[in-house]
Order: sequence, then structure tokens, then C-alpha cells
Amino acid sequence: MGNEAIILFIILGLVLVGGAFAMSYLVSPKNVTPLKEETYECGIETMGSSWIQFKVGYYLFAMLFLIFDVETIFIVPWAVVMKKVGLVAFIEILIFFLILGLGLLYAWKKRALRWE
Amino acid sequence: MELAKFLIMRSELSLLAVVLILLVVEIFSAKSKQGAVVNLATGLFLLHTILGFVPVATGQLFGGMYQHTLLTGLMKSVLNIGVLILIMQSSGWLKQPANKGRVSEFFLLILSTLMGMYFMLSAGDFLMLYLGLELATIPLAALVAYNLKEMKSMEAGAKFILLAALSSGIMLFGISLIYGSSGSVYYAEVVGTMEMNPMQIMAMVFFLSGLGFKISLVPFHFWTADVYEGAPTNVAAYLSVISKGASTFVLLTLLFTVFKTMFDAWEVLLYAMAVLTITLGNLFALRQQNMQRFLAFSSIAQAGFLLLGIISGTHYGMTTVIYFVLVYVFSNLGAFGVAAIVYNASGKINIEDYRGFYQTNPRLSLVMLLSLFSLAGIPPVAGFFGKFFLFAAAAEQGYYWLVIIALLNTIISLYYYLRVVKAMFLDRSEEPIGLIKSDVLTRVAIAVSVAGIVAAGVFSQVFDWIHLYGWGM
Amino acid sequence: MERILFYLIAAVIIVFSVLTVTSRRILRAAVYLLFVLMATAGFYFMLNYNFLGAVQLTVYSGGIVVLIVFAVLLTAHMDHKLDPPDRLKALAVGLLSLFGMGITLYALRSFPWAVTALPEGAYDIEAIGMRLLSYGDKGYVLPFEVISVLLLAAMVAAIIIAKKSTSND
Repeated sequence: MGNEAIILFIILGLVLVGGAFAMSYLVSPKNVTPLKEETYECGIETMGSSWIQFKVGYYLFAMLFLIFDVETIFIVPWAVVMKKVGLVAFIEILIFFLILGLGLLYAWKKRALRWE
Repeated sequence: MELAKFLIMRSELSLLAVVLILLVVEIFSAKSKQGAVVNLATGLFLLHTILGFVPVATGQLFGGMYQHTLLTGLMKSVLNIGVLILIMQSSGWLKQPANKGRVSEFFLLILSTLMGMYFMLSAGDFLMLYLGLELATIPLAALVAYNLKEMKSMEAGAKFILLAALSSGIMLFGISLIYGSSGSVYYAEVVGTMEMNPMQIMAMVFFLSGLGFKISLVPFHFWTADVYEGAPTNVAAYLSVISKGASTFVLLTLLFTVFKTMFDAWEVLLYAMAVLTITLGNLFALRQQNMQRFLAFSSIAQAGFLLLGIISGTHYGMTTVIYFVLVYVFSNLGAFGVAAIVYNASGKINIEDYRGFYQTNPRLSLVMLLSLFSLAGIPPVAGFFGKFFLFAAAAEQGYYWLVIIALLNTIISLYYYLRVVKAMFLDRSEEPIGLIKSDVLTRVAIAVSVAGIVAAGVFSQVFDWIHLYGWGM
Repeated sequence: MERILFYLIAAVIIVFSVLTVTSRRILRAAVYLLFVLMATAGFYFMLNYNFLGAVQLTVYSGGIVVLIVFAVLLTAHMDHKLDPPDRLKALAVGLLSLFGMGITLYALRSFPWAVTALPEGAYDIEAIGMRLLSYGDKGYVLPFEVISVLLLAAMVAAIIIAKKSTSND
């Protein structure tokens, strides 16, 4: 039904973005000197690379986020049919929550939730 | 809904209970002593193992998604015995100060992988099998990288998870092809639709590669040596014994049921893999200096021998495979157990370091001797019967060349197993490993493996008992 | 029209997949992967499998890629470019991959795939929910519960690897 629209959207997107890059490439004057390539920050000379090593805390948070993200996915279909299925659904999700809730408590106990 | 019928799943339920109890204790105890955790976990698991022997009704649950038969019960008990020995062996290592505050995690991860293996064994459809496989793999990567202070361990963990992801990706592709061609993931419905056409053969090959990775059969074995070397010794033992044993059981039951109609295809595959696995495993084992690498290659070769029993496709073949795994559990855990004790006490891991080991630690070296004899298949011990029965099962079906190749390889393997024995008993060393005192649980574990090696060889009832539960293709 | 859309999405997936494995900067590879995953969601939407499409977007594009990017940023030398691959090796790998693709395509095309009509409403959230919670025939409540154990184990595994010193509690 909406296939044409999507195809048109993809093509237009490619043309517009690609076109903008192509245009600026064609139109812009090119005389690059090393000084122009410098990162400008209030006139202060830059030091080192802007790539710095992140703390492991970010990874841990992302990992925990992912786990609860997956959990959400299983809860959504449950929530949709919860009323229809009744008590059984409630017991099933209770087991699911119990196990993952213990996991959350564990993460808490291990101070994985604390930013250090 | 009768709750009583869920008792069929008692192995999984009681294991889940053990895991949750350990988790709750870890969360709510203010200060957990390492030794107390080890004792609690061992005690709970012992209970669980004993409970596993109590007979319950067999049957199916969840519309055939879970099935419990006498055979799966038996296989789970074999695994339980192995895990019990293993966690007792690990007690000395876990009590070291370096592992402070991370003891319960070891048990949580080990036991959740064991639960994954249970589900693999009891699965009635490919979805549960895959889920079980993942549950049996992902926590293992963390266990391999358990020694956070050693780069080697971390590297091994990364290698393991990457290759595991690759192989389970290929396996999933195979499953999706099977699903696409048969319209179902349930074994019972898939069986009728599997035929000998290129597509379904390809699907099967892709599928088997996932299991081949876990068993480390030869085209899929590249991770084995590096991971075993980097992993803590006890975890390497777990990988080589329990993980491999469980996957072999799964391979066995799947080939005998779901892929029964494709025997002609997997016969060729298994034949080639058996020859390659035994030969390459042996040839690489000859050159190893590091004990853990040596045991890794030896365990690859041992896995190749198991294929001899599977390829026969008979009831007798199935019995021999299970029997061999049982014997292998005892002998390999014996060998790994001694290696772990030595490494954790002295940090020595090379075969050369074992020179003069008999003078300082006569008992440990005798255990090692017995285990290596059993692995090599030297007559009076259980390993001999294990190998003999496997050969007999294959010869019975006319695989004479395969048996001859395996026999030749057994002779080669004698050389490298005896090399370790020679180092321990005949060679002298300026500075041998000092007298090692290990803790009670570890000693009990070693004693159990020795008793197992002896008992499984002496009492033929063990074999008959396994034979009772098996079936042929 | 549907066919054109399919090939468009497939082209996007192929182009970005190739870029993912050939890019010599690891962070760029991660971003290319993001596009691959999003385009895959497009397929699910085309099949009217909206729930899976949403899952693909939230978990893969939203979660996994973020995780990968953080993991990349954790490495010490992320600004290093990979060395260009050995020509001979690249050629060998390329030929081998083509060979594998040939066999796979041959096997796939030789099979008489059965074309079945989609049952109405088979893939809406309600149907999924009913199957997920059913413990009878074709019910998926067992995997549903086992997944919670898997997530728990993954959580413990992640914490034990990432937290080096939890010993001082």
C-alpha cells in the first residue's frame, strides 16, 4: 500500500543528502592548509587525540540496559493479553519477574548500579 | 492445571532452586565467607544430584517442547556426577584470596550453564535446543575470563565468545532452513519431512556445526587449545568434560531421532570428522609442552573416538557412547584435577615441571597415572573397556577401516600419555614441585574420580544398566 | 512495487554489510552495522511483522549497537586504523566465500519451497502474547521462563567481568 511512498522516500533521501554533499564538494573553494585543519577551541592549542578511553562503567550500564530492554520486549505481549489469559498469565510473569528481580538486587548489591 | 505434572521437570526445578538459593544468600548475607559459600553450594548440589536418582514419571510437557525419558534422566545424572566432582575440585582454588567476593558467581554461572545443558537434552524442539545451547555457552565465556588479572584468561574469554557466536549463528541458519522447509520446529513434526535433498542436507550440516563447535570436532576445534590454556584449570576441565559430554549426548539423540532418515549423509560426515578429529588431535597433542594445551588436544582426540559409537547407529553404540562419556568424566576430571591442584599451589603448568613429581607427591602422581592410563585405554582400567566397546560397536557395523585408523591412533596416543608418566616417575629434577597439601573437598573429589575409574571398569553392571535405558536407531 | 522495495532494502543491507567488514576504522564499522540492522527491520515491516520490526529497532539498533560502540570506546587504541589486508589472503577468502555462496544458492534454489498464505492476524501482538503464555500445544511459556534465567546468567556474567574489585564489600 505505502510501498511507493517508501521507495520515493528512500530515493529522495539519497538524492537530497547525496546532492547536498556533492554540491558543497563542487561549489566550495579548496585551499587547505594545515593551520585550517586545526581544531579550534578558544584559541588554545589542542593536546593529544580527541579519542579517549572510556570508563568500564559505561559498558556495564549499557549491558544492564540491554538486559532490561530485552525484558521489556517480553512484557509487552504479556501486557496485551494479560486480562484475557487471567491468573495463569499473572503467575507466569511473577516467576519471570522474580528471577529477574533477583538479578537486579544482585546488581545492586554488587554496586553495579553505582557510578564510581 | 495440575501442578504435580510439572514434577517431570524435577531436575531443572531443583537446579533452579539451588541457583536461586545461592543468589539469595549472596544478596542478603552481609559478609559471605568464601569457604561457607563453597560448602553450601557443594551441599546443595549433592542434594540435587541425589534427587536426580529418584525415579519420576516420564512424559512430555508444554506440548512436546520438553520431554523427559529414562535416557535423558540418565544423561543428566552422568553430568551431575561430573559437575559434583568438578565443584569439589574447585574448592581449594575458590578459597584463594584472589577470588574473594566472587565465589558464588562461579557457582551461579556453572549451574546456569548446566541448566542450559539440561534443556538441550530434554528439548523437544529446536527452539528449546537453541535456547539451551545459548544458556550453556554465554555464562561459560565469563567463566573462561574469570581470572581477571591474567591477560591470557581475558583473551581466551574473548576468543571463546566470538567463535561461539559465529558457530551458533551458522547453527541458527541451519535451524531456520529446517524450519522453512518443514514448517515446524518440533522434532516430532520435522522427522517426517527431512529427506536426502541438497537443501536439507545443507541445513543439517549447518546445524551440526553448532554442536561440532561445542564438542570441538576437527573442523570446528580451533578455539579449543587457546581457550583451555587461558581459562582457569577448573573451568577448562568443565569445558572439556561436562560441556563436551552434554553436547555429545545431544548430538547422539538428535542424529538417532530427527536426522534418522538422513543417515547416509551424516554417516559420511561423521566418518570424515572422526578420522580427522582423532588424527589431528593426536598429532598436535604429541608436540605440546603446556599441560592444559596437552589435555585440550587429548580431549579433542577423545571426542573423535566418541563418533565411532555414534556412527554405528545401534542400541549398543548408544550405550557405549554414554558409558565412554561416564568413564571419560572420571578419568579426565582426575587428570585435570591433579593439574589444577599443581597449578594452583605452585603455578607450574608445563609437562617438564612434573619431573620428579612422584618423589614429592606420590599419591597425586598415582592418581595422574591412573587417569592417564584410563584416557589412553590401557587394559585394567575403565578407559580400556570404554574404547574397546566403542571399537566393537563400530566394527559390528562393518566400519573396519575406521576402527583400524582409531587403533593406530590409540597406539600413537600411548606415546604422549606415557611421556607425562615418564616425567613424573622416571625423570629426576633439580627442583621438583614441593609437597602439596590440598583441602578436604578437593581430596574427596580426587578420591571419587579414582573410585569411578576403578568401579566403572570392574563392575560390568554399569554397562548393563546404561544398556537398559538406551535404544537404537 | 513491493519487489522494488525489497531489492532496495536488500541493496542497503549488502552495501553496508560489506562496508562493515571492510572498514578499517572500528567505530565506523559499528555505525555501518547500525544501518544494516535498521534496514533488516525494514524487511520485518514489509512482512507486516510489526512486533519483530519494533524489537529489531529497540534491541538491535537501540541496545546492541550502543553496547558495541561503548565496547569500542573502551579499547585503548580505537583511533588506530587496521592494516590493509594481505592481497593474497583477501583473494583467497573472497574466492572461498564465493564458492560457499555458490553452493548455498544452488542448494536453496534446488528445493521446492512451499508457498503458504499468511493466516490473518498471525503476527499481531495479541497472537504472540497468547502463544507466549500458553502452556499447552504450541505454547511458548517454557522458553519464556528460561529466557529469564538466561538474562539473569548474562547479568551475573557481565557484572563479574566488568567489576574488577567487588571484594571490598
